[in-house]
Amino acid sequence: MAIIERHREEVAIQGAELPQILLPTNCPGCGLGLAGDELRANNYVCINCGHHFRLGADVWIQLIADGGSWQERWADVRSHDLLNWTVPKRYQETVETLLEEGLNESVRTGTCTLAGRPIWLATFDFGFVGGTLSIVAGERLARGMEQATSTGVPYVLVSASGGARMQEGVLALMQLAKVNATVGKMNAAGVPYFSILTDPTFGGTAASLALLGDINIAEPGAAIGFTGPRVIKQATYADLPAGFQSAEFQLAHGQVDMVVPRNELRPLLAHLLEMYP
Amino acid sequence: MSVWEIVELARHQDRPYSLDYIRRLAPDFIELHGDRLSADDPALVGGIGTWHDRTTLFLGHQKGRTLKERVARNWGMMHPEGYRKALRLAHHAAKFGFPIVSLIDTPGAYPGAGAEERGIAAAIATAIMEWFEISVPIVAAVIGEGGSGGALGMGVADRVIMLENSIYSVASPEAAASIVWRDNSRKVEAAEQLQLTSREIVAMGVVEEVVAEPQGSASTDYDAAARALDEALWRYMRPLLDQTPSQLLQQRYDRFRYIDSLVQAEPHFGPKID
Repeated sequence: MAIIERHREEVAIQGAELPQILLPTNCPGCGLGLAGDELRANNYVCINCGHHFRLGADVWIQLIADGGSWQERWADVRSHDLLNWTVPKRYQETVETLLEEGLNESVRTGTCTLAGRPIWLATFDFGFVGGTLSIVAGERLARGMEQATSTGVPYVLVSASGGARMQEGVLALMQLAKVNATVGKMNAAGVPYFSILTDPTFGGTAASLALLGDINIAEPGAAIGFTGPRVIKQATYADLPAGFQSAEFQLAHGQVDMVVPRNELRPLLAHLLEMYP
Repeated sequence: MSVWEIVELARHQDRPYSLDYIRRLAPDFIELHGDRLSADDPALVGGIGTWHDRTTLFLGHQKGRTLKERVARNWGMMHPEGYRKALRLAHHAAKFGFPIVSLIDTPGAYPGAGAEERGIAAAIATAIMEWFEISVPIVAAVIGEGGSGGALGMGVADRVIMLENSIYSVASPEAAASIVWRDNSRKVEAAEQLQLTSREIVAMGVVEEVVAEPQGSASTDYDAAARALDEALWRYMRPLLDQTPSQLLQQRYDRFRYIDSLVQAEPHFGPKID
């Protein structure tokens, strides 16, 4: 993309400064043995085959935000086990263990700048109960979108989610309506909304805000869809073709505007923020 | 009655389906077809009828009783075209000021390759968002199964009620078991954990009312079940007819924006918006 060339220098992602993540010994894409530092310097994209590794919210925030500009909001909003969910594991325990491990719910949100321009940023974390949309996640998303609406600041979402969280029952389902209502408010106010879909984005998250961006941007090879392939096979006995529900499949089927490698993402967003002031 | 018995009642093939109710509520019902893009989804019926002296748009998932009917109706599981048809008809109703009654009875949206290829996720997402822009009163009722995003795609309304032996769930018990245990045979346990019965859903503040069914469930007396549904739907619809479009849309927004207010009021949820 030539249009973003001029942004490349000023907004290149500083991969070497990203947090370390847990990595397999070999690339799941090509089987090549992985050198952690080299991979990190390349923003966790395999140098050999271009496989995009899944990233947590902490890495995404560093990937998108200008250094030192991130201001997290509503990090102290906490849910609890409202359904008294006990099997196979107590939900309360699951959540508390993840919090102790340093993850703060499936969505984190806040403000930052990108190439000097203010944005609202929300990012899912697949490591927290599969990035599932919960009451806390929905509340953080909705509050951020309401603030973006009232201030006119562009909204950027990074999704990686299995869908709505089973352990919060029908109230998790209701989050789809809650966040879509606030997407509608941004639309009415003319607030730009850029949605970045990463591997994987499924279920209630795909069927709500993730596919409602003014521009939907998918990462190469990301699996994106409503029903997961395992359930489709169980329900319909269909043989699914290779590449079914990939980012490239969704591009071909008109669901996303573009498939953009991670290394191009920040320059692209910087340019889009100029074009949608 | 056990939770699983309620699930079985909600899904029972003798249970009245949307058309059984709509034809009793509005005997002059005229069905309208098609999404004006590519298809007509038979899993979702829509049309106009006179209800309490007023032209009303009726929408409803439709299941089938015989095998042939079930196949034709795709077990009440909508494809993307169904959501697009529903929204087309909703805009039609808004143009003429017709109130909307939406009857929900689906295991979920269709989990098939074709639905994925034609954008089921975006179709549901767009439907859920656009319901917030339809400037006429909408009352929805879960009459059997309220399954997942497929149900919510038809369930954004000003008031939502549930028949006594209906269920409303983030996922079907089978799907939830498959997600949580990777074993869909643990559906009974999943159903108990999900709190999907009408009494549990109304206690969470997600629906306004549980409508009592005739003795022995709606299956035993379609006319009595339809009268009970009619009475409750109209009781919620009538005051909405006096509201201005902007009042309706603001209240619909607030209804879903704060639908989890019971949870948000808990001290450990955290501080209110600053």
